[in-house]
Amino acid sequence: MTLLEFASGPGLQWALWIFVLGVVWRLVGALFLLSRKDLSKPRQYNSVAAGFGAIISRSAPAHAFEKRILFQHVTGYAWHFALFISVLFFAPHILFFESVLGFGWPHLPNTIIMVTAIIATAFLIALLVRRATHPVQRFISNADDYISIIVVLIPLVTGILAFAHFGARYETLLAIHLLSVETMLIWFPFGKLMHAVMTMPARYQAGTAFGRRGVKA
Amino acid sequence: MNTESMSLQDFRGLLQQLGAGAPGQDISDEERLRRAKNMFMQKLNGHRAVDLDSCLQCGMCAEACHFYEATQNEKYAPVYKFRPLRRFYRREMSPLRWFYRPFTRDITIADLKEWQHLVYDACTGCGRCDMICPMGIKISASIRVMRHGLAAAGYVPPEMRVVRNEQRDQNTLFGVGTEQLKALVDKLGTQGINIPLDREQADVMLLTTAVEVLLFPDAFAASARILNQAGADWTIRSDAFEAANVGIITGDDQTMKIAVRRIVDKAKACGIKTVLMPESGHAYQMMRWDAATEMGGPLPFETLSMPEFISAEIKAGRLNLNAQSNGASVTYHDPCRLSRKGGVMQQPRDVLAALGLDVRETPANQRENYCCGGGCGEYVLESADDLRQKAFEIKRREFEETGADAVVTGCANCRINLMIGAENSGWQTPVTSLVETVAANLAD
Repeated sequence: MTLLEFASGPGLQWALWIFVLGVVWRLVGALFLLSRKDLSKPRQYNSVAAGFGAIISRSAPAHAFEKRILFQHVTGYAWHFALFISVLFFAPHILFFESVLGFGWPHLPNTIIMVTAIIATAFLIALLVRRATHPVQRFISNADDYISIIVVLIPLVTGILAFAHFGARYETLLAIHLLSVETMLIWFPFGKLMHAVMTMPARYQAGTAFGRRGVKA
Repeated sequence: MNTESMSLQDFRGLLQQLGAGAPGQDISDEERLRRAKNMFMQKLNGHRAVDLDSCLQCGMCAEACHFYEATQNEKYAPVYKFRPLRRFYRREMSPLRWFYRPFTRDITIADLKEWQHLVYDACTGCGRCDMICPMGIKISASIRVMRHGLAAAGYVPPEMRVVRNEQRDQNTLFGVGTEQLKALVDKLGTQGINIPLDREQADVMLLTTAVEVLLFPDAFAASARILNQAGADWTIRSDAFEAANVGIITGDDQTMKIAVRRIVDKAKACGIKTVLMPESGHAYQMMRWDAATEMGGPLPFETLSMPEFISAEIKAGRLNLNAQSNGASVTYHDPCRLSRKGGVMQQPRDVLAALGLDVRETPANQRENYCCGGGCGEYVLESADDLRQKAFEIKRREFEETGADAVVTGCANCRINLMIGAENSGWQTPVTSLVETVAANLAD
């Protein structure tokens, strides 16, 4: 079995299983820890509207905070946006998703993907540098914070190299790219990449908790 | 109205003496740790688990914290203030604890000692960080669990321990109990303010606080005059008047429940329909939002803050006010537990506007308002004097931007803290209370 055969065969399968089971295990485990019911009389509110309202409202900082967190807010959005374009609209990726899901969707030209991938990489490196240098972020960070950035950074870099056929044989570059994605999938449920799954439940519960008190979350 | 009261200077002297009277605690380190962990285990629930599992460690919360802003000390990042709780969760309760345990350091007695400063001196539980978190994490709720753990382990700071013990064991605060309240009621009676003390049945039960009795009797008198003019069927009970709850402040459930039950039981016995909270943010949060859950069932009365009550009475046409027309301006300081934690933000503004005052907003207001700097009992801690004064400077800057003639607030704790901050820095703008402002404009 070649490296590429392993990476695109059993390696990928195992990584996906660990990813799915790990995410479900952690999500269900946290959500099913019991909470005491709030018995106070709520103000007039609609809990579902308050919950979904918070999912939306927390996408942008409240006015009083805007200036203080502008850099993180903008780079955070730019980086995620560029990543999603690169992952979801690159023709070979869509072929892969089609093989797993059974359906595909239109792709973007390769040059655009190249640009978004480079933007995503640049922003992620900027965020990594900030984490290592900003007094608060450096102080509160632990291994997970760095591992989670690096396991996402490597697939980006190897993807760009594979696309550019730079540094090694294409098959080798592709195999390394796949293995790095698999590493990311395996790490996902164990570290803070889980935020991708936790964002909505966390914001929803904030929305209902504030909503019952008549406060916009 | 100008009822003779303790001076701010004397009250500050009283605070400075508090810690000296703290009883010693003979608890072994192992026992302290065991109690702290046991409390963390009790208080960690699904909501906190989702919160702890969602944190990105982005550090934005630091940008919302007045203590971080005032000092630029990264230790004051709110996310750091519950770090031991997070470690405990990861090691003992997380669905992935078997994975985290080898990589996560256990909490130690040294941690508990270090976090006493971080969660009592350097956090007022104001929850401004809760409003900035992009994940919607209730950071202040996790820090509150930290206070519970530290309280269980015997790490309540000495000043708070003294008042906590006093409320728990003697049913007084700062020496104020039944006799002191009765004396004040008598005195106000001689000034023509009728206070229906100790009625067996009434619709409304007014509460007050030791701080009002000692320092702000005019606020108490104002509440009484407002209730009288509104024609309310009301009483105040000399055996259950204290709204302040040192249990919720320190993180001690035993004291919290004793103090709440006293009021709830009395209100039930007197057939009370509305419990009216004095100007005390944490007391409102306790009775309005926490009491039912803590008592194990819905309460048979509603709980209103003064701004809610007054605003409703004005709308119903039951209060006769002299609206000012001299263009006087005020800015309203939102007490955190009334505003972002209580939902009472519009009513005080409506009331001030009804008085004809020019109400000016600080740059950050309502749910995003800066804390007074000394909430959640923090103002009694000598070890936090410097931090508090630095945080006050943020408030001062905010107030000055409004150019308002006076600061009005709806919490005596905020008021004391702002007055002390102003006195320390020679800031002249008066800080007053909402009820006193209303009472001063009642048409007789």
